[in-house]
Amino acid sequence: MNTAVHVNTITYAATHVATNMLSSIRSIIKGSGLDPGRIRESWDILEAGIAIWLASRHLKSVTLEVYDPRKGGDDLVGRFDFTIDYGYYSGGDGDLWLDPETVAYTIRKNGGFPARCEYRIVADTAPGRAEVPGWTTTAYRSTTGFTRHAVGTAIGGGNLGAALAYYIRSGT
Amino acid sequence: MSVVSRTVAAIPVRTSVATWNAVTDLLAPAGSAGRDRLEAVTNIAAILITAEYTRQAPIVVIPASGPRIRIRTAHGPDAPEALAVEIPLAVRPSAETGWTMSLPCGIDDIDEIRTALAGHPGIEARDVTDGITVDEPVESAAAGGWSIDYEEMERP
Repeated sequence: MNTAVHVNTITYAATHVATNMLSSIRSIIKGSGLDPGRIRESWDILEAGIAIWLASRHLKSVTLEVYDPRKGGDDLVGRFDFTIDYGYYSGGDGDLWLDPETVAYTIRKNGGFPARCEYRIVADTAPGRAEVPGWTTTAYRSTTGFTRHAVGTAIGGGNLGAALAYYIRSGT
Repeated sequence: MSVVSRTVAAIPVRTSVATWNAVTDLLAPAGSAGRDRLEAVTNIAAILITAEYTRQAPIVVIPASGPRIRIRTAHGPDAPEALAVEIPLAVRPSAETGWTMSLPCGIDDIDEIRTALAGHPGIEARDVTDGITVDEPVESAAAGGWSIDYEEMERP
């Protein structure tokens, strides 16, 4: 019985953090003036990958990269990271929670993007992850010239915490 | 009008997509005529489930015949309890053609969701604050409807 409860707690925490991380990314997209159509159309693929890799502890972070397709090469204009901490609650009995104010604060501090900007979602995973249909390998865009601002933990559950940070261009 | 209500366990017991899949299973068996329409709106419905609009107000299904169906989702600590008491419908109303559906949606998302549903006739989004109010066709006398004329009854 204890084993079953433990398994459920881990699974529930992974599902809670995965879905709310995706929901928070959608909030950033909408709050920044970007088209939510792209994340909506890929919702099933994104949620499946994030939930599976969280439950197997392969997921390191999920990143929203915003870029300007009119720029060639160095086209990054903004970035948001949700970094996973698998030991956020040492006791392992944390509640399932979401702090929407952390996300709202990040949107306010970052400001908006021109409507022409596009975005993609990148998951950083440890070796040995399961393959999930719809996901392909890629490399991050360069963050040279950007400064990373850590905001704090936005989502928690079980042992898991998801900390939010955003990048703003600080110079050339 | 008769109504049948059900509650489906959502996050964290199921992901948002798995929750919609459970709703789909409830309404239409695999291979049935109406199931494709439900599967086609999976991502849209999953977003509404994630936002918990379907906890605040029900998904409403109006079948071609038979009772209206209301489905809510249970979230957080209520979800495991809901999972333990999920009950299938005696008749799955979306197995056949002719049904319509109303999905609850918050004001912040309703323009986006209505645009996304434009390509899915018979499935619409309503303001979550409207509760369970869903427009439906008024039966005409020619179609066999009838009404009581109270003014006529009160005449001397």
